[in-house]
Amino acid sequence: MDSFVRRRRPGVGLEKRTQSMADRRLFTENMGGRGILTQRIPTKPFGDLKDRHIVGYDEYVKTGGYEGLRKALTIAPDDITESVKKSVLRGRGGAGFPTGVKWTFLPKVEEGQVPGVDGFHRYLAINADESEPGTFKDRLLMDFDPHLMLEGIAICCYACRLDRAYIYIRGEYHHQAHVLEQAIAEAYEHGIFGEKGLINSDANTAGQRFQVDCYVHRGAGAYICGEETGLLESLEGKRGWPRIKPPFPAVKGLFGKPTVINNVETLCHLPSIIENGHEWFCKQGVESTVGGPPSFGTKLIGVSGHVNDPGVFELELGIPLRTLVEEYCGGMRGGKKYKAAIAGGVSMGVLGTDQYEAELDFDIGRKYNVLGLGTACPTVFDEDTDMVAVARNVARFFKHESCGQCTPCREGSGWLYQLLCRIEEGDGKTKDLDLALEVATSMGSMPGTTICGLADGNNWSLRTIMNKFRDEFEDRVERSFVPVKMTVGAAAKD
Amino acid sequence: MAWITKPSATTKISKRDEPYLTEAMREELTGKILPRYETKHGALLPALHMIQHAYGWVPHQAMLEIAGVLELPPAEVLDTASFYEEYWLRPKGKHTVAVCRSIACEFCGQPEITQAVMKHLGIEVGETTDDDEFTLVELECLGACGGAPAVLIDETLHEFVKPGDIAGLLDEAKKAGGHH
Repeated sequence: MDSFVRRRRPGVGLEKRTQSMADRRLFTENMGGRGILTQRIPTKPFGDLKDRHIVGYDEYVKTGGYEGLRKALTIAPDDITESVKKSVLRGRGGAGFPTGVKWTFLPKVEEGQVPGVDGFHRYLAINADESEPGTFKDRLLMDFDPHLMLEGIAICCYACRLDRAYIYIRGEYHHQAHVLEQAIAEAYEHGIFGEKGLINSDANTAGQRFQVDCYVHRGAGAYICGEETGLLESLEGKRGWPRIKPPFPAVKGLFGKPTVINNVETLCHLPSIIENGHEWFCKQGVESTVGGPPSFGTKLIGVSGHVNDPGVFELELGIPLRTLVEEYCGGMRGGKKYKAAIAGGVSMGVLGTDQYEAELDFDIGRKYNVLGLGTACPTVFDEDTDMVAVARNVARFFKHESCGQCTPCREGSGWLYQLLCRIEEGDGKTKDLDLALEVATSMGSMPGTTICGLADGNNWSLRTIMNKFRDEFEDRVERSFVPVKMTVGAAAKD
Repeated sequence: MAWITKPSATTKISKRDEPYLTEAMREELTGKILPRYETKHGALLPALHMIQHAYGWVPHQAMLEIAGVLELPPAEVLDTASFYEEYWLRPKGKHTVAVCRSIACEFCGQPEITQAVMKHLGIEVGETTDDDEFTLVELECLGACGGAPAVLIDETLHEFVKPGDIAGLLDEAKKAGGHH
């Protein structure tokens, strides 16, 4: 394990990462060939997918489950938040915001107030509305190991004094919703949730007694409900229109009460962080090489597209895309060459042909000109892929999923799709390319012109595809010449 | 699309005597679902799911009934129901074939899958067969990119689908029966 202890230089963090593939293997082997999140779910290359099954309460406990919660209940809530803060666990839902810091935004529980009593509520909303094209990692956790997530929920609720948890699961996940319902019923029975919950009386010290309830709330096929305030609106039974912030959900969230919103995978990290300590967590993953916050821990990485062996892998953050594809996914399908990859959910943009070595960590946005790591679920394309068609597909997705609240996004996404259809069919002109980029820019580029980030995702994904594969787009369109009287330099590229 | 609205002031609501929201559903709604939410509005999505699951679509009469139980203006119910794609405001076939058309699926063979379904059923995307058995739709991301191309038939997800599998999968669904 020594090879994983890296020297920390706070504030500088420019330590060059020299970790080799062999070291990376060592980590997984030290885990006994098991992951942390996937320790009960056989995952390639360390397990046989045929052995996957739903882990029930008994099996979960027998394999060390709910130990993290038991330990957490012996620690003061604020110390748990502090520990999570020190672990620099960054949200796994796409934005990478530090989880512990998010928790500290909650208002304090006043003396004499007990969450869940006299209409005083504090909520946890679990974002299981995984619906961005390319992203399919949380499904694995909900499919086979639902109690890991429930343990994470219980720990979070205890640490932040939240009395109700809603799992917002997307409508298309029928099977997963059933699995969760069943697991929740088991958890109620065994003293995790409900009146006799949080392992019966352990939390019942010095007036801290409170109960946690956990419910499944099914979405109904709207991508925008994965945006945190859109999710809250949907939980309240309204159309999933994102809210204007501030107030932020931590202060005024669900039904106007303090609310924490966390991704499934983020919560699944909590039990092991509590059990093994934040120092242990910080030994995995990598420091930032561009002076940003570090990328610690393992990450579920879902690879799809033109690879031989697609699927979800649990690996340390910082793994290069090439290694991922060639060593874990069995290389490119049909021996073809790599051409491009969606960085992690389409809104993050694409990695170009020369960015095959890109390391998958939270630095990726700054280093490789994409929006960010997103959910770290690359969709890989081979050399035969038509990037214009990729852009058209992405544009259609955003057009379809724009909620219609803000004009730039509602109108812009539609026009972009039409423009790209025209270009794909060969009816476009060179100026259409610039027009498309102009429309995209006017929609949003952090901070954008809209309430939520959907328009920014639309802009970034199309901008990166069009800029990194400009030749392909230019070959497809009719040249249009604009006479000018002076010599101009190359068009500004970002 | 969620945000396309239609002039509905002149729409006549067809009604039947028997309520869509059965006694059992009412009981589940008020006894089990309502206490979970701080406001009655909160129970709207589960209520709509209940109707959608039982009848395969959400009739206007059912929305009025839900509005009655949850003490909401009917317009609020329509507002929510029309936003979400999963609620069908018109009747559809007994079975729904949803082909994923998002990025991984499209580039791993989705167009051929849609073609195969269209050919097998003799309908276009968005249409229902004459015998009301199957409705074909194309959806955005089903969250099964690792198993592209993916098809969701009723509530069962099929991954790595080949055009040749379609006939068998549809027969299987027909035998299983039922709405959702």
